[in-house]
Amino acid sequence: MSVGLKEPRAGKAALHNPDSRKPVTRKASAQGRQPGSSIDVQRKKLLVPFVGPAFVLYTVLFIVPALGAVWISLHKWAGSGPMKFVGLDNYGRIFRDPLFLSSFGNTLLLLFVVGAAIFILAFAMTLVLRDMAGKKVVRNVIFFPHLINALVFGVLAGFIFNPGGMVNSLLAPLGVTDPPKWLAQDNIFPLIMVTLVCTTTGYFTTILMAGVDRIPPYYYEDCALAGASAFQRLRYVILPLTWDVFGTCAVLWTISSVKIFEIVWVFGGSSGAGVPPTQSWTAAVYTYVNAFSGQSTPAYGAATASAVLSLALISVLVVLLRRAMRRDAVEF
Amino acid sequence: MSEYKLLAPLTARRRGRRGVSPALRGERSVVRGIGVGLLWLVVAISIAALVWMVAQAFRDTRAILDDPWGVPASLDFGNFVRAWTVGDFAVATWNSLLTTVLSSVLTVAIAAPCAYYLSRVDNRLTRGLSLYFILGLGIPAQVILIPLFVMLNKVYLTDSIIGLNLVYIGVSMPFTVFLLTAFFRSLPLEMEEAAALDGTTAFGTFWRITLPLAKGGILTAFILQVISHWNETLLALTLLQSTEKYTLPVALISFVQQQTYSGADWGGLFAGLVMVVLPMLVIYVWLGRRLTEGLTLGMGK
Repeated sequence: MSVGLKEPRAGKAALHNPDSRKPVTRKASAQGRQPGSSIDVQRKKLLVPFVGPAFVLYTVLFIVPALGAVWISLHKWAGSGPMKFVGLDNYGRIFRDPLFLSSFGNTLLLLFVVGAAIFILAFAMTLVLRDMAGKKVVRNVIFFPHLINALVFGVLAGFIFNPGGMVNSLLAPLGVTDPPKWLAQDNIFPLIMVTLVCTTTGYFTTILMAGVDRIPPYYYEDCALAGASAFQRLRYVILPLTWDVFGTCAVLWTISSVKIFEIVWVFGGSSGAGVPPTQSWTAAVYTYVNAFSGQSTPAYGAATASAVLSLALISVLVVLLRRAMRRDAVEF
Repeated sequence: MSEYKLLAPLTARRRGRRGVSPALRGERSVVRGIGVGLLWLVVAISIAALVWMVAQAFRDTRAILDDPWGVPASLDFGNFVRAWTVGDFAVATWNSLLTTVLSSVLTVAIAAPCAYYLSRVDNRLTRGLSLYFILGLGIPAQVILIPLFVMLNKVYLTDSIIGLNLVYIGVSMPFTVFLLTAFFRSLPLEMEEAAALDGTTAFGTFWRITLPLAKGGILTAFILQVISHWNETLLALTLLQSTEKYTLPVALISFVQQQTYSGADWGGLFAGLVMVVLPMLVIYVWLGRRLTEGLTLGMGK
């Protein structure tokens, strides 16, 4: 293989820069300017009016509640009345709660199993899409589900899979006289997983494609001249050059999968008293039900403890992902 | 033949990005063929599903259940009227529209100056602030749910559209600041410098030079906020309690849950789904390219 991948690996500076290459040079020129230039001095005075409102709103409505969550998770509290400091007891309690364990397990299933399925499918789709005719049409269509509220898919699934529904009417001519009970409590979660794969893959395909499209065509031509097989081209050109985009996608999925709530909440349509069957709960649903369902005394401590654990999961994974992805980024 | 091969890279360059370069055209394997076929199948099914959903919204429940594959016999708006009146979708649509537009405008109006400052002034403070804003990107909504509810309850802002708007603005800050900072960095500095030489104040440069230049990026940020606020469910579900305050997703959930008791009204439900989806479709058809670019490049790194 004589593919020109000898470029130096990207340094830390390039990796930390949120925008690709251009700003690096621009920043350098900005630093090279005289520090005392009058517009810079004037600009610095704008700190409070420009950054202030955003900073205050963000701090009060986002950071303070996030810190508050950690604080509440250390207390036993029913939302009103006195808070009792119990230290890490809430964490110990939810780890002994089978309901939490199964909810958290479901979140991990979404994160890893659904994530893996999405990535394999999205990457396969990207490879096919890369040089097919009409790729813009396909890309535009598969991206659209990302803009639809997940509630819609949950409600539609209830219609499509109900006993007299469309899936069974499709299966009947194929000789399936006794179709599975799709919406039985145990089957809902696997169905949610399948639905999520179908509705999320398009979004990640779009992002991966943006990465693959960035690869200059002469690398492929070089491959063709060197007689590389399709697999070699994938292994030595496409994968190394899109590695950082994969990293971004993995971070995005980690963050968004832990939040999944709406689709679980309504999946299967009118499934009962407003709370979905416990088998399909995720950590987010566990938090909501424990605090707001109105079915039992609200346990704010346990609910926030579950949420804080989700946040810890995200933080650990994002740090690990950044570590794992850092080495292999190739500048081109 | 050999001549053609020699010229191949040249012609490829000349064709630019359009079409497939001849060097790549050789491989037409079976697997690829199947892949292409499957992709078009996915596209066909997606479009069909959308059309089907809209079509069902014009049929009554009995017809839908008898034959879910059918097409509407006539353009009957009965479902929409019922959803509008019985299902409280009218007031919910209004609330959603108001909340979405108001909070998105304010989010961008507040985030843009901040992003401008962070993109133009480079020192330890701004680097720290940028990091501080980025932190929020990783915090899932369920973490702040309960403290936010407790806090807003103390100042009587739960079950209030104003409260919800405030929350949406605060929660959207990290992403919008992040996106716009990257965008402002990509703008040329020369015009600002020229304006500064002509004696324009720093604020004047921002207001009269940078903002007009940044129209595209700001519109993208605005539309992305519109989409996320229109679809936001968990916070609205938690913070709103009375029916006349519901936003569309919350109204949809309560409509689904009512059906447990009143029997399934699939016609009305499909009408509700169409009301949630259609505005997104309109925006997508109108500004689609901008959106995909904003979402893929903005989140790109």
